[in-house]
Parts: sequence; structure tokens; C-alpha cells
Amino acid sequence: MLTLTLKEAPSVPLEADVLSPDTIAPLTAEEVRALPVYLGKRQRRLDDFFTVDREPSGPSHHDPDDAVEIRGDLRRVKWIGRGMTRGALRIHGHAGMHLGSAMKGGSIEVSGDAGDWLGAEMAGGMIHVRGNAGGQVGAAYRGGLSGMRDGTILIDGSAGLEVGMRMKRGTIVVGGQVRDFAGLQMKGGTLVLRGGAELRTGAWMNRGTIISLKPISLLPTFTYAATYNPTFVRLYARRLAAFGYALPYDGRQGSYQRYTGDAAVPGRGEILVWQPL
Amino acid sequence: MLRIIGGTVYDPANGIDGVVKDLCIADGRIVAEAALPAGARTIDASGMVVMPGGVDVHTHVAGGALNFARGLVPENQRAARKFLHGLDRRAGLGGMTPTTFATGYLYAGMGWTTVNEAAVPILSARHTHEELHDIPIVDKTSLVLMANNEFVLDLLEAGEIERARQVVAWLVWAAKAYGLKAVNPGGVEAWKWGKNANTLHAPIEGYNTVTPAQIIASLAGMADDLGLPHPVHLHCNNLGVPGNFATTIETMSVLQGHRAHLAHLQFHAYGGDDWSTMRSESARVAEAFSAQKNLTTDAGAVLFGDAVTITADGPWQHLLYQLTGRKWGNLDVENETGCGIVPYVYKDRNLVNAVQWAVGLELLLLIDDPWRIFLTTDHPNGGGFWRYPEIIHMLMNAEFRKEQVQKLPEKARGRILLPDLDREYTLSEIAIITSAGPARSLGLAEKGHLGVGAHADVAIYPIKPDHGLLFSYPRYVLKGGAIVVEEGDVRNVVDGREFIVHPACDDAIEEYIRPLFEKVYTMSFANYPVEMERLRHPEVIACGSTSA
Amino acid sequence: MGGKITCTLGEVKNRADFIMYWGGNPAECHPRHFTKYTLTPKGKFVPEGRKARTMVLVDIRETPSAKAADIFLQIRPGKDFEVATTLRAMVKGQPVNPALVSETGLTVERLQDIVDRMKRARFGVIFFGMGVSMTRGKHMNSGAILNLTAEMNAFTKFVCMPMRGHGNVTGADVVLRWTTGYPFGVDLSRGYPRFNPGEFSTVDLLVRGDNDAALVLGADPGATMPQPGIEHLARIPTIVLDPKVTHTSRLARVHITTAVTGVSAPGTSYRMDEIPLPLRPALTSPYPTDEEVIRRIRRAVAAKPAWTAAPSRMMAIA
Repeated sequence: MLTLTLKEAPSVPLEADVLSPDTIAPLTAEEVRALPVYLGKRQRRLDDFFTVDREPSGPSHHDPDDAVEIRGDLRRVKWIGRGMTRGALRIHGHAGMHLGSAMKGGSIEVSGDAGDWLGAEMAGGMIHVRGNAGGQVGAAYRGGLSGMRDGTILIDGSAGLEVGMRMKRGTIVVGGQVRDFAGLQMKGGTLVLRGGAELRTGAWMNRGTIISLKPISLLPTFTYAATYNPTFVRLYARRLAAFGYALPYDGRQGSYQRYTGDAAVPGRGEILVWQPL
Repeated sequence: MLRIIGGTVYDPANGIDGVVKDLCIADGRIVAEAALPAGARTIDASGMVVMPGGVDVHTHVAGGALNFARGLVPENQRAARKFLHGLDRRAGLGGMTPTTFATGYLYAGMGWTTVNEAAVPILSARHTHEELHDIPIVDKTSLVLMANNEFVLDLLEAGEIERARQVVAWLVWAAKAYGLKAVNPGGVEAWKWGKNANTLHAPIEGYNTVTPAQIIASLAGMADDLGLPHPVHLHCNNLGVPGNFATTIETMSVLQGHRAHLAHLQFHAYGGDDWSTMRSESARVAEAFSAQKNLTTDAGAVLFGDAVTITADGPWQHLLYQLTGRKWGNLDVENETGCGIVPYVYKDRNLVNAVQWAVGLELLLLIDDPWRIFLTTDHPNGGGFWRYPEIIHMLMNAEFRKEQVQKLPEKARGRILLPDLDREYTLSEIAIITSAGPARSLGLAEKGHLGVGAHADVAIYPIKPDHGLLFSYPRYVLKGGAIVVEEGDVRNVVDGREFIVHPACDDAIEEYIRPLFEKVYTMSFANYPVEMERLRHPEVIACGSTSA
Repeated sequence: MGGKITCTLGEVKNRADFIMYWGGNPAECHPRHFTKYTLTPKGKFVPEGRKARTMVLVDIRETPSAKAADIFLQIRPGKDFEVATTLRAMVKGQPVNPALVSETGLTVERLQDIVDRMKRARFGVIFFGMGVSMTRGKHMNSGAILNLTAEMNAFTKFVCMPMRGHGNVTGADVVLRWTTGYPFGVDLSRGYPRFNPGEFSTVDLLVRGDNDAALVLGADPGATMPQPGIEHLARIPTIVLDPKVTHTSRLARVHITTAVTGVSAPGTSYRMDEIPLPLRPALTSPYPTDEEVIRRIRRAVAAKPAWTAAPSRMMAIA
């Protein structure tokens, strides 16, 4: 396993797409040190900013050969894990924008916060942020027709605007509150808001499911459909329990109010809002 | 001063068909051997094909409509080819709506050296010229939109043909254009009330007598009377609609006795009654076209993959938006014209797209005379212009072409003729449809050939055994005798020129136009004509008198 | 997905019989708008002028523009998105929640009346201003009106247009698009154009402190940016080109006085409908034009040793 530790805080954003298991796994530590990163307009070496150490991995260690650990306040480091297809990326600290953008497989863990565009347009794999995330989680880049096509994004803290914008499939679970436009123009997939949301949740959604465990403000273009305890939530609860999240489903504790919309499109999405007894 | 030695030269305009000979260049032109001073630089072109630089007779590369499209598709730009800025190179992006500098690099990089911007509104012509100014290397012409201009339509309605012609002449010079463009005559005007003009002989929306047919015939006559080097350039009514081949053939009848250039014929050669029965009618269109010798056309071929449809055919674009449910842009221009934009993807599994793909190739194969049909994709409507080499490959190699046909859905085979067409284009014919023919149609006597006196716009390609993508990577491209591209890379950026015309008109017509202008437009009349200073290296091409 | 359905201002003057201003105050901010383009002129196809037109003003408070309106819709602050989204549904005959609609300050009945008028119009236009584009929701508010307009075209001719702010914002947008492919927020640090609002847009860069130098031309961020952005501008080397000493000039390292564009410097201005208008200077100025200054700076930079080892090098051409 390779460990990179930030030794020099970048004065302007540092673009480091090379920080992904796909790129790093086949290389020696010396080759990794020479990888290009971009400080604003200038190309630099990775070891201008990071110390690079390879821990030996073998049968007595848990980590596979393609694990990468990065330590430090990486709030200004962008594009970590871009397009990765395998391996484990663990960040001890905060991460910058575009973490796990377009990733297809493997896993990313962040002990701190992540910036905007977390898992944007990802196609598979798993991201877990223990702190807060920014906006546009799992979203489409501007003008793009679809956001994440599959994969799982878990955020323990809060998140920003447009979480899950135009997502097509996959799962996003947020522990804290999200800001406006969660599930904007959603095409499919599941968005679980354990801490509720600010305004305009599900705006212009087409398909997909938003589950909110707190009461939320709804657009006038959503219509109340029913109060019930859908079976699929029970299945989902089991899946989320494996990640350590509780998703209520038991009729003795409460039920979900189902709203359909967004009539503006018109879409056939649903928002389920938990109502405890 | 330059000598290109030992190349296999294709110069069909001068009857040279694959002859190994030297070319001599001085002061930006082809010169006779005797005229070349000693000590000229030499390019060794042995084993290579030497052709006149490509001429794109119909493309959308500059101006309000294209710029509008750029804003609609940031996701395309993200995925587009990147041009890094450099010592002599501006940054840019390729894709379906390339940025201006990239446009010049892309065309030159393929061996194309002259482009015709096919649709310019007078009101924003200044914008078009500013963008053309920023397209390096290639020479340019531009066509001004006229078939939905209310000044002209009102005069046609009133029967004042002579005055209409004076107005058209004045407007062409105001726009600093090269020729006349007619798009969906009457239909773009009707779209301003949300309608269309589907019938050639029915009065158009808002008028009692003026019909699309009348507009077409009048503009064709005017182009001839004014002696414009290029005839009226016409995008027929009912573009894209199943069954529209009938409109196209009827349009050709209306044009009897006139010169005309029919734009992107592929989009106008469909049979069937609706999308589910849509089929190719390229044979009937090709036959009618071939019989009418005054007409030229360009293919407007479609290629599978991304495209952005940009056209002044507003109603068609609204329909496409409703069919695809995706993005739509529309901009109506007061008194003059409009444009509609819908990003689109042609898919080989889509029956309609499969027919469209076949029709473009069929027209190129069925129309025997390469001097009359030219290679285009109506960029970016049918596909990016840098993909012309793919079409050339399919025209030259029947086996490769038939392999592509095999990939089409089964149901498509019964609706197209392409599986049965065996013709293969020769290199000479390719030189005609990509250069000599369009140059002649545009009336650019110094383009499209390599005879003494021609501009030294030369493309030199390494020969490939199966002609596969022969044209993708020229070994050298020369523009006005300067080597601008070497081994596919832009090495030297030169400025291009803009060719314009100044048709004769009575000065008094300005006093007729001014009060009308002040009534219906929203700017000062003094600001309407484009200042010459806006054009980079303008060159006025003389209007001939082709009429009696 | 929607899009932008629009026209040049002459089309509005000659055809529009239903004009809606949303989130703008043209009477004070675009004082010639009514008389040149939208309400009083005799249009080619609207010869009766004002009498044949209906003007609807939508805003959170009654501004002087309301005096010119036939109908004034007062909506609660922060509800523009909700109202536009509701209209999108009602135009299509889709169900809406009356109680939630009423929270916007308007009722379903009132909105239905507007929808009916819109559909009956021969040619409708919505002009939307900064009350829409700069309030909570921002580009989504604009997007809602753009989508509504596109969808109205299934019923009748309908267009919309943003009411631009001062200066030549439209011109900057147009030129950036043709040279870089993007309208604003363009990043060139990797050698080619990239676009991502929020990442590369000015306010975000300054507030986060992502840049280490600034050149300011024709703008005054020192007056308009949030405080952290202003502090950042003061910390880094900032250069200002402006005819006047601005707020930004006062915290900059260098201020260069330049000639006033349109008065002493030539150029092109693009109107809100993207029509280019030539600027013919009427007066001379002792100061250089912005263009001259930028060209001189570029020549000076090009004369410096190349800073990249890579093949791409700085422009040498001024």
C-alpha cells in the first residue's frame, strides 16, 4: 500500500488526477514521486507536494496492493480518484472537488469533508465521506444529460446544492441536511435524506425515489398519493444497516407519506417522507 | 518560393489525372517552371498524392446561430478535442461547434483551405465577420439569408420585382456577403407566428399572393441578373420530412431555366408517409437533378454519432425538440430570418437515421457527374466536417462501404438502395467533389485547381493502399504557398481572406429602405451596414453579367 | 431538457401582444424599454400599439414599473421558482397543490388566468431580470422561465429574454463563446478552455482565495463581492484597468486609467438580444484604450523567458 502525505499546502488549487489506484498501483514509489500534478497553470512533480512511502503488503497485511492512502488537508487538491476502476483510496483529512468523478469501481473513504462534484457522473464503485460534502454530489456536469449511472455514495454529514442532480441509477445516502434542489431532474436511483433538506427537493424529477426521514418543504407540483410502508424500504433498510445507517420501516414506529411529481415535467418520481407515530 | 517535386498530381479542372509532375509556387500562386527562381525550397512529394486544397461549399462555422449553439452544449465542449495554446497557436476546442481558432486548425489540418459560411443574417453579419476574422488560415465566403426577408417579400407581394432586386443588391453589400442563401422560403417567416410553409404554391402566412415558389424563382433570377458568382443557394421547403422528395422535385421545376445550388440534398430525398414508413427516394431525386443541368448540389451526408442541427428552419427544429425531448434553441431575427438549434445523435440502430445515412451516400453514388455534387455534411447538422475522410473512404471503397451497410438494422435494407450500389469514386473524382467542383460553383476562379495563376492552396497526402482515411493526415498543407501544416500538425498560422461581392445597385434604393428600416427595426440605420474594417483581408470578386 | 427560445427585440416590437416582465424594473433600470421595444411603439403587426398589448409585471414589490402594467402579480420573496414551476405544470394541465401554490402569494385561480392569457396570445414574451437570476435558486430560476417558454410553443408563439445589466456583459459572453466555447467562468490553466460555474466563476474563486493574482477590467468586484472576496483581492497583486478610480482600484497594487469605451474608444457592443452595435467614439482621450494596454502587457510578458518546459509556450504575438 502506498501512503502519500501532504507536505506543502498548495497556494492555489492542485489538480491531481494521478492520485488513483489505477495510475499508482503499477508504479514504484520513485515513479509515483515523478507523476505530474498541476498547480494552477504550472506542471509540477507529485513529490513537490507529497511524501511518498510504500508500505509492504503481503499476507500479514489487510490491504491489497492497489490500496492508496493520502493524508493531509487536501481541500485544495482536485480530481483525486478520477475515473478509477479498482482498488481502495483512503483519505485521512479533507478532499477537494471532483473526488471520484467518473469512477467505475473500487472504493474511496474520506475521514473529513469533500468538496463539490463528489462522484459526479460516476458509473460504479463506492464513496464514503465521514464529514460533510459540497454540492452536485453524483450529479451531471453542466449541460450533461445524466449524472451518476450507478454506484453508492454515503455521506455522514451534510451536503450542498443539487445533490443527485440528473442521477440515473445508484444510491446516495446523506446523514445531515442537504441544501436546495436535492434530486433535481432525477432520472432514477435512490436518494436517502436522513437529515432532511432545505427547499425544492425533487424539483423537475422524472423518475427515481427520494426518501426523507425529516419533514421537508415540497413544491406545489407534488401531489400527495398515500401513506404506507412500502416493502422495498424494508429491503433498503437491510442494505443500509450494513453501512451502519438505520432506515425506519416498521409500521409500529411510523409510515411514509408518498408524494408524486414533478407535475411540471410531468414526471413519475416519488418522494417518501417519514412520519413517526 | 517552393517546388513540390515528384508528387502524383490530381488537377481535374486542368485535365490532370494522376500525373507525376512538379509544381512551382511563387508569391502565393502556382507559377510555370520557368518563372521559378533558383534556390527555391523543395518538398519531396514522391509517392504522395497532390491535390488542390479542399473547398467546403456549405458549412456553419461562424456567427450568431453557431455561437448560440456553442452555448447550448457545454457537455459536448467538455468531450471535444482540445487545442492547447502555444507560441503561435490559440487555445480552443473542437467538437460539433468548434471555437473559431480551432475551426481554422481543424480544416487546414485536413487539407481544406476555403470554406463557405452558409447562413448569415444581415442584422448580425457584423458578428459573423468578427468570427470569420478569428478563423485562421482558410479563406472564406459567406451567404446572406434572403428568402424570408420581409422587405423582399413585401415587394414581391406588390409585384415590384425590379425594386426587390435593388433591395437585395443593397442588402448583400450591407452584409458584405458573397451570395444569396434561401432557407425554407416563406416557412421561416411563418414560424414567426408558429406556422410553416409546406406547400410551394400556397401563399405564405401573412401574405395573400407570395408563395414559396415565387420567392425561389425570384431569388434565382436575381442572382443571375446581378451576376453573382455563385447562384442562389437553396435549402428547400419541408426539410427532413418523410415524403419530401416530391417537394424537392417540384422545387427543381420551379427553378427551370435558372442556375441554383440545392443545399444538403440528403435531407430532401425521403419517401414514405411518416416516420414508420420513411424510405430513400434518392433515385428519383438524383434522376430529376441530373436532368436539370443548371443545378449543383452538396450531399449533406449524415454520419453516425454526435451532431448539432443548426438551421434557419425554425418549425423543423421545434418538431425535432418535441420528438427528442432534449435541448432546443431558437432565435428569430426581426424582418429577416431565424434559426433553430437541436443537439442530436444519429444512431445506427435507429431506422430513420439508418435511412438518412444511406441517402447521403446514395446521392453521391447515383449522381454521375462529380462536377455537380459536392462533399458536405452540412456541418454540424449531419456530423463534424473533420469526418469527411470517413465519407471519402466509403465512396472509394465499395467493400468497406458494404461492410458498414451490414451493420444497419435488418428493416432498413428494404428502404434503401445502398446495398446494390457498386460504384467507386476515383481520386480524380474525389478531387472534384471536394475542391474543383465547389470552387467552380462558387465562382472562385483561383481556387480548386493547380494551374498557373491559381492560389497555391495545396494538400499533399501519403498514399494508402486501401485509401482508408487517406485524407485524415495530410503530409503537407500549403495555403497561399506557405506551409501551414506538416505531418498533421499546424506549424505556421497565416491569415485567410474574405471574398465578398458588390452587386450593382441604384444608390437611390437606400432612400427607399431607410424609412422602412426605421419603422420595423430597432437600431439606427447608420449602424446597419457592416463596415469594411471588420473584415480581415477582404477581396471583392467581380459580379459578371450572366443574364441577357 | 428545455433550452433558450428567443428573438431579436424588433420581433417583440412588431409582434408581441403579451409581455411579461419578471423580476425586473424596466421603468428604472431599462428606461427606454417600454417606448422602444415593448409597449408603446406601433408594431408592424401590432399597429394599434399599447391598446393591443397586455403587460404583466411579476415582482416581489410594487416598483414604478407597475404603473405601466395591466396586471401586477406580487409574489412572496424567494418564490419565483415555485411560481414558474407551477406554471409549467398548469400549462400542461397537470395537477398542482392549491395550498402550496397559495404560499407563493398567488392563487391557482390567478395563475390559471395568466395561463389562459398566455395561451390566447398571438406572440408572448417574458423578460426576466436580476430579481430572478440573482435570488435564491439563481440559474434554476432562469431555467424555469426558459423551460416554461419552450413548452408554451406547443400552444402559441412564445419567447423569452434576460434583461442584462450594465456594461457589455452580453458582448463578453458572445466573444468568450466564440473564442473559448464557454460564456463565462472560463479556466485556461491547463492550456485549453474549461468551464465549471462554482469552480471557476469569479465570486467563487475570490471567496475561496483560489487565485494568486487578478487583472480587473471593466468591473468593480471591490464594490460587489462578498467581504472575503474583497479581502482576498486586497491581499494578492491586483491590477485594475478603468476610466475611473474604483473601489477595486483602491485596494489594488496597480491602477491604469483607460479611455472610456464608446466615448473615446471604439469597439462593438452586443445588445441584450445579441445584436452587435458599432461604437463610434465621439471624443478623444489622453488615456490609452483598454485594448492598447492589454496588448502592451502581453508583449511584455511574451518577452520574458518561457516558463514551461513543455512545447506550449506563451503567445508572442501582441
